[in-house]
Amino acid sequence: MLNEIQLWAIVNGTIITLEIAIVAIIFGAIFGVVVALGRLSKNKAANTLSWFYIWFFRGTPMLLQLFIIYYAIPIIYLDATGSTFNVNPMIAAFAAFSLNATAYLAEIIRAAIESIDGGQMEASKALGMSYRQAMTKIIIPQTYKRLVAPLGNELIMLLKDTSLVSTIALFDLLRTTKTMASATGSWIYYIYAAAIYLFLTTIIQVVFDKMEKKLGIYER
Amino acid sequence: MSMVKLVNVRKSFGDLEVLKGVNLEVSQGEVVCIIGASGSGKSTLLRCLNHLERISDGEIYIEDVLSDKRAKNKDLMKIDPVTVQSLCADLGMVFQSFNLFPHLTVIDNVTIAPLIVKKIDKKIAETRALDLLSMVGLSEKKDEYPSRLSGGQQQRVAIARALAMDPKIMMFDEPTSALDPELVGEVLATMRHLAEKGMTMLIVTHEIGFAREVADRVIFMDGGVICEEGTPEEVLLNPKEERTKSFLNKIL
Repeated sequence: MLNEIQLWAIVNGTIITLEIAIVAIIFGAIFGVVVALGRLSKNKAANTLSWFYIWFFRGTPMLLQLFIIYYAIPIIYLDATGSTFNVNPMIAAFAAFSLNATAYLAEIIRAAIESIDGGQMEASKALGMSYRQAMTKIIIPQTYKRLVAPLGNELIMLLKDTSLVSTIALFDLLRTTKTMASATGSWIYYIYAAAIYLFLTTIIQVVFDKMEKKLGIYER
Repeated sequence: MSMVKLVNVRKSFGDLEVLKGVNLEVSQGEVVCIIGASGSGKSTLLRCLNHLERISDGEIYIEDVLSDKRAKNKDLMKIDPVTVQSLCADLGMVFQSFNLFPHLTVIDNVTIAPLIVKKIDKKIAETRALDLLSMVGLSEKKDEYPSRLSGGQQQRVAIARALAMDPKIMMFDEPTSALDPELVGEVLATMRHLAEKGMTMLIVTHEIGFAREVADRVIFMDGGVICEEGTPEEVLLNPKEERTKSFLNKIL
């Protein structure tokens, strides 16, 4: 069984895992809307910029992005300025996961916006609304229900992918339990890890199911 | 005063020319019904008026103010979005597929545009919306979502929503075509009421009986041009053009 030190180590690992996933999903959802609108924009610059953003962050491994932020940026900074600069690993993790989630969520949000019937934008324009008013008051609110399921999916993926941060000196849930397993030679710690991951993802699944029902209240 | 005027309006989608030089003037208080087979350009004509489609060639005037002037798909005037928006706000539009906002209740559907476009006071907007909803006979449905209403009721809400912006002209794009036959009557009754109140109306319709009864002028479109126009008696009862005759024979 767990002693008190081990218990607290696991609690701390779980908190790190949760923190990264939650920060990433929140930033990802907010900036995802911005990038999605860029993709849908007729403005060439905005369109190209968001295309390249998604292209890079979806097209390279998450782990590589983490390494660039945590290992490469301090070296680039050193070469450029001659002074040293260290990235806090937690900040690096927040940044990498948020940037990555933004790319995935932008595509999800763009698809959700495009799935809204074109008649909605036409009716908004015919009533004298500007593009911005139509988007914020009519189109985007209708995507909420359609976004809940993929958002839950993304959060669950993020929660599991956070285990990558073990490579930048962070003790997340998986690394904590793995260390204990190696130190003691017991497999039971992997069971603890699995149980905690499942517990967290179950909560996400239940909460997101509820949210989806609630947001769909206007549908028959 | 002319409320709407089109001068030599052409519209192409790629290689397909849908409007081939349309001239039309609608005066205040006039009820104009546009009939014709599908693909004849009727709906496109309405959609060009409020910039849902941009014309390829020609000029459009709304209340004698130039709102669009183009040649070969190039602007010949500076299109200021705010001016165009305000000109188009004078044109109420009712769509075939209603296009109510599904995430808003009936009353919010009616108040949203006055609230965010005209920025009028919420109390005033709601009072006005309730008046309009009672005019279309739906005040008791004000807190329902559109999905709970029948097609006819949804279309009447759509009419109230358009009227809430105090348009000077109401355009109807086949307003009863998506409705079950037993629901057509209630929508036509609402439109008849509007016509009686002196609203300027431009109606694309297949309801020949309705056109005969309420229209001041009937326009028959075919192949992207106005083929024949005149009073309902002239066009619907004694058409001169062969194409009008054959169209009417097919649908009556």
